[in-house]
Amino acid sequence: MMQERLVALRSRAKDDLAKAKTLNEIEYVRVHYLGRKGAIKEIMKAIPSLPPEEKSMMGKMANQLKLEISDEVEGAKKRFSPSSDSSTDKTPRLKNNAQDAKGSFDLSLPGKRQPYGHIHPITQTINEIKSIFSKLGFAVEYGPELEQEYYNFDALNVPPDHPSREDFDTFYLDNKLLLRSQTSTVQIRTMKKRRPPIRMIAPGKVYRPDTVDARHASMFHQIEGLLVDEGVSFQDLKYALTSFSKIYFGQDIKMRFRPSFFPFTEPSAEVDISCSICNAKGCRVCSHSGWVEVLGAGMVDPNVFEAVGYDAEKYTGFAFGMGVERLTMLRYGIDDIRLFFENDLRFLSQF
Amino acid sequence: MKISYHWLKDYCDHSLSVNELSEGLTNAGLVVDASTPLGDDFCLDVEVTSNRPDCLGILGIAREVSVIVRDKLLIPGVEYPTNTENIESETTVVNEEKELCPRYTARIIKGITIGPSPEWLQKRLRVLGLRPVNNVVDITNYVLMESGQPLHAFDFDKLEGKRIIVRRAANGETLEAIDGTKCTFTSDVLVIADTKRPVAIAGIMGGKGTEVTETTKNIFLESAFFEPRNVRRSSRKLGIKSDSSFRFERHVDPECVDWASRRAAKMIQEIAGGQILEGAIDLNSIQLKETHVTLRTPKLTSLLGIHLEKNEMRDILERLCFTIISEEDDRLEVCVPSFRGDVYREIDLIEEIARIHGYESIPATSNIGVKLNPENRFDSVVEKVKSLLYGMGYNEVITDSIVDNKQDLHTGLWTDMNGIRITNPIRHDQDQLRKTIILNLLKVKKHNQNHGTEKTSIYELSKIYLGKENGAPPDERVCLSILCEDGFLPLKGVIEVILHRLNINLMLAPHPFQSDLFNPGKSAKLQLGGKIFGYVGEVSGELMHNYDFRSTPCIAELDFELLVNMATLENSYHKTSSFPTIVRDLAVIADEAITWAEIKGSIDTLKMDYLEEIEFFDLYRSKQIGQGKKSIAFRLIFRANDRTLRNDEVDVCQDEILKTLENSLNIRLRS
Repeated sequence: MMQERLVALRSRAKDDLAKAKTLNEIEYVRVHYLGRKGAIKEIMKAIPSLPPEEKSMMGKMANQLKLEISDEVEGAKKRFSPSSDSSTDKTPRLKNNAQDAKGSFDLSLPGKRQPYGHIHPITQTINEIKSIFSKLGFAVEYGPELEQEYYNFDALNVPPDHPSREDFDTFYLDNKLLLRSQTSTVQIRTMKKRRPPIRMIAPGKVYRPDTVDARHASMFHQIEGLLVDEGVSFQDLKYALTSFSKIYFGQDIKMRFRPSFFPFTEPSAEVDISCSICNAKGCRVCSHSGWVEVLGAGMVDPNVFEAVGYDAEKYTGFAFGMGVERLTMLRYGIDDIRLFFENDLRFLSQF
Repeated sequence: MKISYHWLKDYCDHSLSVNELSEGLTNAGLVVDASTPLGDDFCLDVEVTSNRPDCLGILGIAREVSVIVRDKLLIPGVEYPTNTENIESETTVVNEEKELCPRYTARIIKGITIGPSPEWLQKRLRVLGLRPVNNVVDITNYVLMESGQPLHAFDFDKLEGKRIIVRRAANGETLEAIDGTKCTFTSDVLVIADTKRPVAIAGIMGGKGTEVTETTKNIFLESAFFEPRNVRRSSRKLGIKSDSSFRFERHVDPECVDWASRRAAKMIQEIAGGQILEGAIDLNSIQLKETHVTLRTPKLTSLLGIHLEKNEMRDILERLCFTIISEEDDRLEVCVPSFRGDVYREIDLIEEIARIHGYESIPATSNIGVKLNPENRFDSVVEKVKSLLYGMGYNEVITDSIVDNKQDLHTGLWTDMNGIRITNPIRHDQDQLRKTIILNLLKVKKHNQNHGTEKTSIYELSKIYLGKENGAPPDERVCLSILCEDGFLPLKGVIEVILHRLNINLMLAPHPFQSDLFNPGKSAKLQLGGKIFGYVGEVSGELMHNYDFRSTPCIAELDFELLVNMATLENSYHKTSSFPTIVRDLAVIADEAITWAEIKGSIDTLKMDYLEEIEFFDLYRSKQIGQGKKSIAFRLIFRANDRTLRNDEVDVCQDEILKTLENSLNIRLRS
């Protein structure tokens, strides 16, 4: 019991001394522990009543503690003495209370900011989109970036002579593979791996040999989505993408689904939202149309189902894809895609 | 595809305003990108998707408009009076390449007068951004824009031998094209030749030597179907694009070839005078088969999620020029017109009906409902690691996977093989996939240093790409690369925090490692559970010099997939002791060669029950300690879970530790 008290006393005393900011406070601590009515004295008083075998040990320990605390007190006082040896003393000199009280502490001095990092805006966009689709039950899938023609084109119903296969639209590698030009490849890989029902999204890097400028990068990010089940209709597609767009871009946006063409979906659609930069009045971002394109989508083409061995009479589904850089640029009004890959900390630290 | 608002009205007399027209076309799948007023007309820029080459002529777009406004499509007549002289007595055409040119037609118009075309015609061309040249050339352009079928007029008298041969070019043959480009051909290019030389690049552009000029009297008018792929290849290869090649690449309507020829001949005769010779040359090897498709109406209903009457479906298809062959309760059998090569399946018909009916009229309601999806383990680890790095002040960067081949000059970290090469890079000095992220991080630091940011605490969590021997599939490996500006031990500390928070309770085993990327004494290959985990080190002096860095960064590159495999995401709870600790600070003297790992390992082997933690806190060398020796200070923290430890118990432990250190490592307590 007594020993515990001594140990506790020791750590409390050390703690109090460390917190003391003025000589007065140190003196107060000294009196509290070492003074005539101090804590150590209290303990000493109790020693005579201990059993004889403990008496001498406790006496020794209490004395040792008394010496220890008085050393600590002296040490603490040195922090405030001008003659203290600054080479061993790492504690900064502190102003005393009286001066603070006179108002000489400048409260307007800047706070000392703790370092913190930043998550790349592209990652933030991907995370946000993943989280929205996660609520609709879409699981995240990944696929290789070094891909076979089969997954990038053949299985996606891209005809053998389609221009997108030519080497000005797709990077080819010296190992018979290509750099995937779309994340749609992951649709095929997922459907080949699993049976319906399927709900997935696949974020990732894609590559195209575009000459790099403010609008084009040879590497960028896409997110592909796919839902396959029995009885899935174009209504479901509109519902999912409308829900997504309203959460991501805001409830007030207007949306437009218009017919388009992709080899792997039919009917296909492009989805526009009202331009948020100009409130759909027309500006440079929306080419003065009031609309900006944000998504490509469509019902999965029966040829794609055939390629992955699904019965196109039994199952239907929809797929969609979006450009992550594009969405991020629209959201923040960023006018140059190259900023994402230049990684200037003055840029990154804004997100 | 540019169209003129007024010109369009020739074929469909609608009353839509420019905006209404733009909106109507956009909603039907022909996006009007812009409409520009030009004089009393408007130029509409229509985006035509690659499946709809039939809309690469104003007539095709008018057909869509006629469907939208439910009005008739007015197709100009192409009947004309002819001369009694027959074309076959004047010329012959030999087609040596039926694959590349499945249809070739020609007409001859004699005795024309070249001059400027009438103002109305010039005006229409100008609205589309075309420069009027002379009446004959303008008419071929006019009919091209109207029908989407490219035409070419040769000066008949300049054709050597007055004959045309459709053939492959001989290697090295040359031609100066109308735009002045001097082409040298290879044998994969299809040319139109006379008996002596090529006079046009098939489907792409005519030659200067045979073009129509002010002195031209007699015209040889070509209208053909050239194979799309070959036109595209040749156009890219020769670097010549034209309104013709654009359309041939996208597949013209084989049925329209002759119609456009008649239309142009008729207009030439009307505007430039002259006489059209009777007959036409038509070398046609296209076997047109009628395409019949059956639409099951319930299929449409279930796929679109809306109910349409069969009559509505039929009406839409008929307005789109499809012919209904037969009709049953729940099905329609349809014949597809020749210009709609994109329609050959039931789903294609469903799309046609959907887009004309309007996507806007399909409600956005659904019963797909909520579904739980399993947590993605990889993503969870990524998120955890990124949030740790975020908290420790690191900024995520994303750099290009495509790098220059200078990476092969450096020591390979993960592989000894050269980088995987791109065979068609945009820039020849950027033709490899990265096999480390380290060099990219150095470039990011360099960029930031150049822009006034001195401290660049960054990381990238992304893939590297490693080639494999003997054609084995390449290894795409996710790595975590960190650039730290605070020194080696702080960086090692970051790695330790990550391991700790992923509940990987294995010691990092550093092995000295030589690479030109790192400072030789301060770099290590890290192992974790016997597997290569990564590399960490101070950037080498050579790289410091190359990048002109003002501070020395340390870099780590770690195999992230190993982390994912070893991580335990679920934390476990241990009751914390409510009893106090006893702390002992020790300073010992050891030989230089002794490592901290050895000291700690030696203490660990004792497996002391109450030894809660061993904390290193100081390393010190001085003359007093002596050459070849160092002082190491550390703290031992003792605690029991069930009671307060006594000092004498700890004394025993401490003595045992010191004895062990002395016996195994020749370490003594500093006096």
